[in-house]
Amino acid sequence: MSALLEISNLSAKVGGKNVLNGLSLTIGAGEVHAIMGPNGSGKSTLSYVLAGRPGYEITGGSVRYRGADLLSLPTEERARAGLFLGFQYPVEIPGVNNVYLLKAALNAKRKASGQQEVDAYEFLQLVRAKMKLMQIDESFLKRGVNEGFSGGEKKRNEILQMLVLEPALAVLDETDSGLDIDALKVVAKGVNSLRSSERGVLLITHYQRLLDHVVPDFVHVLARGRIAKTGGKELALELERRGYDWVLEVA
Amino acid sequence: MSALPDIALPTNRDENWRYANLRPLAKAKSDAIAAHDPATPVDLPAILPDYERWVFIDGHYSRELSTDTDASCARLIGVREAGDTLLTMLDLDLAQAGVDFSLARVNGARGDVVLHIAPPDRAQARIEIIFIASAAAAAGTSYPRVQVHGGRSSHLRLVERHLSAGATDPLVNAAVDIALRADGIVDHCRVQNCADGAGCFDTLTAHVGERATYRLRTVTLGGIASRSTIFVKLAGRAARCEFSAAVIANGSQGHDVFAGIDHVAPGTSTRETFRGIATDRGKLAFNGKMIVRETAHGADSDQSLKSLLTGSGAEAAARPQLEIYTDKVSAKHGATTGKLDEQMLFYLLSRGLDRLQAQALLQWAFIEETVSQVELAPLRLEIEQLIATRLNEISRLEGLVTNS
Ligand SMILES: Nc1ncnc2c1ncn2[C@@H]1O[C@H](COP(=O)(O)OP(=O)(O)OP(=O)(O)O)[C@@H](O)[C@H]1O
Ligand SMILES: [Mg+2]
Repeated sequence: MSALLEISNLSAKVGGKNVLNGLSLTIGAGEVHAIMGPNGSGKSTLSYVLAGRPGYEITGGSVRYRGADLLSLPTEERARAGLFLGFQYPVEIPGVNNVYLLKAALNAKRKASGQQEVDAYEFLQLVRAKMKLMQIDESFLKRGVNEGFSGGEKKRNEILQMLVLEPALAVLDETDSGLDIDALKVVAKGVNSLRSSERGVLLITHYQRLLDHVVPDFVHVLARGRIAKTGGKELALELERRGYDWVLEVA
Repeated sequence: MSALPDIALPTNRDENWRYANLRPLAKAKSDAIAAHDPATPVDLPAILPDYERWVFIDGHYSRELSTDTDASCARLIGVREAGDTLLTMLDLDLAQAGVDFSLARVNGARGDVVLHIAPPDRAQARIEIIFIASAAAAAGTSYPRVQVHGGRSSHLRLVERHLSAGATDPLVNAAVDIALRADGIVDHCRVQNCADGAGCFDTLTAHVGERATYRLRTVTLGGIASRSTIFVKLAGRAARCEFSAAVIANGSQGHDVFAGIDHVAPGTSTRETFRGIATDRGKLAFNGKMIVRETAHGADSDQSLKSLLTGSGAEAAARPQLEIYTDKVSAKHGATTGKLDEQMLFYLLSRGLDRLQAQALLQWAFIEETVSQVELAPLRLEIEQLIATRLNEISRLEGLVTNS
């Protein structure tokens, strides 16, 4: 059986700059991978390339998702095929309410897999349950997407969307940044509730703290656009203690 | 077919008519259309709760379709009488300032009747007027006329709709004049949703007295060409104007608005919001002129004009214009023209929404800011549905309307 995600030798350019330089990474079903790395090393770029953001030019390599060529799909089809990107900086969209987006997103996914649109009542029950888990007040449903949300509320909202969509592969870009200690646990609980033998998670983070709660199978260091080191969860602890310099020297 | 021979038509060389599409005028016959039954049955919107309804077909009152009663504060009067009351209520200034711009007024003798609405002092009134254009421009022009004289502390809620039935290219030339006494309020909501080939021209004047408030919400969706010419004079101390305009130009539609708001008395204030979307080859223009006279100490005006372009041939020109003759004022203004926000679009796509749906949703979000100001809930819902249809996405945007 093929891996959930197989990134081979991926190179990409943004704004005229080579940011990813031959990155390879394989995520198997059921695995949680963490990517750490210095600011500007290309972590968010990787997440955008996976999601298909315009302006990111692939200059080499390939990405296979469940055996198929991911990079040839438009963004929306990647999403419907089960890829979810939790943004480092979720955008505010005043005038589009949160619950509408949740429902439209869920229905887009269901439609793509030949299912009927979700029943209004069932949908509300589902969303309420997930909101409870994420400790988001129901008043947020009627608000504009991320509009006026605090930093932490935006991150929890990303996870709420993820829980409603139940993606096969979640790429979470610094979802833990800006969270208070309790919120971090809430987010971790959300991510853990999604862990299963069919799903994969790619956590981009700067802090080992999150990894205490969502224990990764692998930890990678991304530096200068490629994976410079891979280890188990103890690598995160070591990075926390020693910083990145020693990895960069070896790489 | 005669092309309105006896009135001086504006031309695009005239600064204030630069962006108006005047072609429909040239093709039209200037005579008023004779009273008749519409060729096709008229599909009227649902009755608004507690509103009395006045329906006009090609400028002629339809008893059958109207629900007015003897107790109404509105009545039909002759054009001459209307002219006289106009001069006593409005100051001459305003009436004349309008003349230069108003096809309607120059052409005033053409309509038969004027709907005269005069809520007495402290009265409340709710009136819905529906103007239906049913005849082709080549057969004549329809001349809706309304006059409002709001008494002291009166509150008039006025819904004005322009629709069409039958011919796809009618010419409408409407005039509305409003005079509001001290502490009066007029909430005026105008929805123009005529047929795609219609030419829609209108002139609106408002004279606002002491501490009185004139709220105008306009939604412009129909017609191949439309032009609204609006003059508001804040004549009494602390008079206030709130004006929001939502305009969508689709296909090859061209919509043009001129709004001149004149702050004459001290402490007068204006809030003006324009949100326009031009898609395809649609063209939009909004000229928001704010005049603050020497006498208007402490005046406060705020303009926010935003246009969104989503087609390669789409154009928008939104211009704030300030003429300020005293320094004791606060005047804020902003005008932007932009495309759909790439980050927002990517966010929606990354959640699996398809591109057309995501685009329509962002257009919706853009214009919703003005529509949300329509206070009357059933009307707001209706407008939201009309807009969703215009955005060509009624099926995809379904649910949005009821959820918001
Ligand atoms: N549009 C752009 N134009 C030019 N350079 C860009 C652009 N987008 C990203 N970069 C550069 O690419 C590099 C990688 O950026 P990226 O956002 O992927 O870093 P990151 O690893 O996520 O950093 P952080 O930990 O700070 O979030 C940075 O040097 C950044 O300045
Ligand atoms: Mg980043």
